[in-house]
Amino acid sequence: MNTKTRNALSRRTFLKSATAATGAATLAPMFAAPALAQSAPIELVHWSWLAASDGEVWGQMIDAFNEAHKDKGVQIDMQLVPEEQYVTKVLTAAATGQAPDFGWGTAGKAAQMARDEVTVPLDDLAAASGLDLSDFSELSLRAARYPKYDNKMYMIPMDLMSLQPEINIDHVLEAGLDPNAPPTNNAELLDWAKAMTKRDGDTVTRSGIMMTGSGVQPTVTWGIVAEQMGFMRASEDLKTAAVNPDAGIKAMEWVLALFDEHKVSTRDVSDRYKAFGTGQGSIFWTGPWTLNGYVNQGLNFRTYLFPNIGGTQKTYFEMGGLELYNQKDKGRYEATMAAVKWLSDNSFLWTTVGRGAAPRKSILERDDYKTAGIPWDKRGAFVDGMEFATIQEIPVVEGPEFTIYSGGNFAASTLENVWAGKKSPEEAMAQLQERWQKGLDKG
Amino acid sequence: MPVAACAATASPSSPIYSDRTKPMSNAATNSAPDDVSQPLAQAERRRIEWTGYLFVAFFTVPFFLFNILPVLFGGYVAFTEWSIIGSPEWIGIENFREAFADEWVINAFKNVLLYGLIIVPGVSICGLTAALFVNQNWPLSSIARTLFFAPYVVSATVIGLIWVWLLDTQFGLINHYLGYLGIPNIAWLTSTEWSLVGVSIASIWWDMGLAFILFLAALQDIPKDLTEAATVDGAGRFQRLFFVTLPMMRPVISMVVTLQMISTLRIFSQVYVMTNGGPAGSSDSPIHYIYKAAIVRHAFGYASAIAIILFLVIITVTIVLRFIVRERG
Amino acid sequence: MENSDVDNATFLEKRNMKLADVPLWALGMFIALLWSLPFVWMVSTSFKLPEHVMTKDIEWLPRVWTVSNYLKVFEFPILRWGFNSIVQATVSTALCVFFGAMAGYALARMRFPGNGLLFALFIASLMIPVEVTVVPLLLAIIKVGWASTYQALILPTIANVFSVYIFRQFFLSFPKELEEAARMDGAGPFRTFLQVAMPLARAPTIAATVIIFTLNWNNFLWPLLVTFDESMKTLPVGIAQFAPVIGSHTQLESFSISMAAVTILSIPSLILFFVLQKYFIQGISQGSIKS
Repeated sequence: MNTKTRNALSRRTFLKSATAATGAATLAPMFAAPALAQSAPIELVHWSWLAASDGEVWGQMIDAFNEAHKDKGVQIDMQLVPEEQYVTKVLTAAATGQAPDFGWGTAGKAAQMARDEVTVPLDDLAAASGLDLSDFSELSLRAARYPKYDNKMYMIPMDLMSLQPEINIDHVLEAGLDPNAPPTNNAELLDWAKAMTKRDGDTVTRSGIMMTGSGVQPTVTWGIVAEQMGFMRASEDLKTAAVNPDAGIKAMEWVLALFDEHKVSTRDVSDRYKAFGTGQGSIFWTGPWTLNGYVNQGLNFRTYLFPNIGGTQKTYFEMGGLELYNQKDKGRYEATMAAVKWLSDNSFLWTTVGRGAAPRKSILERDDYKTAGIPWDKRGAFVDGMEFATIQEIPVVEGPEFTIYSGGNFAASTLENVWAGKKSPEEAMAQLQERWQKGLDKG
Repeated sequence: MPVAACAATASPSSPIYSDRTKPMSNAATNSAPDDVSQPLAQAERRRIEWTGYLFVAFFTVPFFLFNILPVLFGGYVAFTEWSIIGSPEWIGIENFREAFADEWVINAFKNVLLYGLIIVPGVSICGLTAALFVNQNWPLSSIARTLFFAPYVVSATVIGLIWVWLLDTQFGLINHYLGYLGIPNIAWLTSTEWSLVGVSIASIWWDMGLAFILFLAALQDIPKDLTEAATVDGAGRFQRLFFVTLPMMRPVISMVVTLQMISTLRIFSQVYVMTNGGPAGSSDSPIHYIYKAAIVRHAFGYASAIAIILFLVIITVTIVLRFIVRERG
Repeated sequence: MENSDVDNATFLEKRNMKLADVPLWALGMFIALLWSLPFVWMVSTSFKLPEHVMTKDIEWLPRVWTVSNYLKVFEFPILRWGFNSIVQATVSTALCVFFGAMAGYALARMRFPGNGLLFALFIASLMIPVEVTVVPLLLAIIKVGWASTYQALILPTIANVFSVYIFRQFFLSFPKELEEAARMDGAGPFRTFLQVAMPLARAPTIAATVIIFTLNWNNFLWPLLVTFDESMKTLPVGIAQFAPVIGSHTQLESFSISMAAVTILSIPSLILFFVLQKYFIQGISQGSIKS
């Protein structure tokens, strides 16, 4: 409650002084920031949807910032907003001119906000703040841009994530496999899966490959295998949907075979995280956000690189980053950008203990990058595997209907008909193609 | 039309005491709240009671401000394309045309009728049975009363956490105990055949408390001498139930069935937390689809159009239902 | 033999039962117990260590009892959220029940043009999917500067039609003689309502209170959207951030903590019912003067 009054006060005093400074324009040179900071304290409003153990680490990052800026007149006020309603809240706040200063986003999923000018293009602001863009990996910078909106950068990358297989080492040893020679291709993967699967009659009681009958897991598996086989949800120029549909169909058949032909997976699992944690599955491709949970729980597992199943080694890519939201008072951008720069410069903790790999070369190259945080045999694949994590979001307004990491979007629901045997892969592909084409045409 | 539907709601409850001897259908056809009385009172009652407006104003003002105005705006948005930022762009009936061609919308409406067919009788029968049991005032009946009502007060989060676990195919409690009866594992929430049933079971558990308490209140209002008279006349338990108790409960039964039908046609939370509408939309409901269109995709025009269609469906079903329930009396 | 029969008879009679009723009673109680098992599991899990939650076999009781989940929950500003929830739910419920009673009474007992139409409108509004109206309302609330305020949490929820419905149903069957007597004594409509009708309307008042309080207490979407400040969140909204509910987002390490949180969340409504059910029965028995 105390902080609330303080916030309100500081906001108001800031606004007064800022109106005078607004004339100094958005792209004011660097010296303006410290000058402003000394004259009036700034309270930056930050929204985040990071919820679980990663949320705790992010809280530490924000605390560290506030600690370091105690006497410098800048503080961050963080508010937690559930991920699913996050964009709705940002949009309504922005529509009434009360958007937060900055918040968390996922690369490629915010085309609508870029179109509606809710998010702010960052190229100039970043340059003005002195953020060293050449230190960021090329991949991360490319993912932060929206080709349909002047190819501007709308996000400062904070972490890189990919899906890689976590494998239960107890099951590996029990099956007499060598944990130091993980599967690298389709044949080896299926051999491992078959060796570790347990069945009671015809029912799979322990899945060699951890799968669910619906939701995220089969959809994302399909998406990865399909792209490995040469399928593309959208062409490079974002004009044609479903390039190489035959590869997409083949990938659906590959997923179905896990259930019905090889019998290494079962449709009966509902909670995949829980199932892998209790040893109901042996090979589970998932993201780095699961690491803290399984490590704390004492699960004996290691993470490996995603095998090359379809011809080209590829896996799902996700990037988290910070976006700036449109303010009436353009004078706030500078201070916000300075804060984001600090958070990026100091993201070692975030990319070792928090989640994902660092997008910044200077952090990746640090000697202690591999020894800090979660053990490297569990975390390493998520860093090394970024090299081939190229299956990105489709950066158009209808992007959420394209993502392969979803349990309920159009793609997932359509594919669920295939997993349930209600539609043929060909029918589903035709539906996907039609709907996605509409999405691309919308822009 | 809705006026007619509600006029029917208006009357039938009065007979419980004062008009006990009159046939129900008579009372039901009178749409004015008060029927025959002494001539003196009748003259009195023809006067318009202007204070009535004051009485309803306290409720009606916020009702218009917070319930009706946004709805009117929603009605307008249904004919536009709008995603919060900027002003809605008029596109005529395009959203409706799209909705009628959207197989997922049609699927959601089919599902919700099925939900109604399972949950409404489920809740009504379970609630009535439980109320009859508790109304016996046998030992520990107050504990039973609390236990039967308790699920009603929990939030959707609880439903999600508990029932997903109870209905788990391999390790869920329900399949575990069904196994003792020789029933093979059922994929309650993960198969297209069963997911709707799984969600319905949880819904019955969640919703029954309200029906139960309304039935119980009505049962306790039934004068003891009436059932006792029947007992003296040699009526057995079931005869008393079917010839004395149930006919007297008709108004409350019709109220419970109507309310439950309306709330079931709007089923959302349990779908959202248990299956997210899946697999393959097999447990999807219109509101869940509307929610996804609005909150997840920000297609407010489209979402509003489906909402209007749903509204019309609910009104139609309610009128039909009223007709059926009334006819039986 | 004879003696014990007599004993049995009195023992059972005192309890309103016949010997033949006993199996039925046992079955009924068994089902009531089954009905509560999900709760048992919720509470039991909330006392389990996080690593004991994910077990293949069903463990009804914790292997090791711990309150660590509850301590963890209290690391969040849960008291503040709870306070907000109490303010929001009680004020909103009180207004809704009182205004609803007035409206229900007028609709059932008073004659004025538009009476039927108004009620029809109320009923029809039950059928409106709120999920769509929520955004225009939200924009309006933010525009007038009410974001993250109690009035924003409370006002939009007070017009719950359910309350009107319950009272209208009740007053329709209310004996006219009592009111007429009051009127003969010269009481105006407000006094009649407050001093004659309401005191006898204990049963619907309590029923409406329990039901509407529960709805308000568990309300999620609206408080979620309208609060932009940690200190103004309500309990369900606050809890949601460490109890992710959607299948695809389950965070296993927080499962037992979630259970502790939802146990806390469930307690007030349960207590309310527990406390009020006594009056509920009283209210009903008072209703017997009607016949």
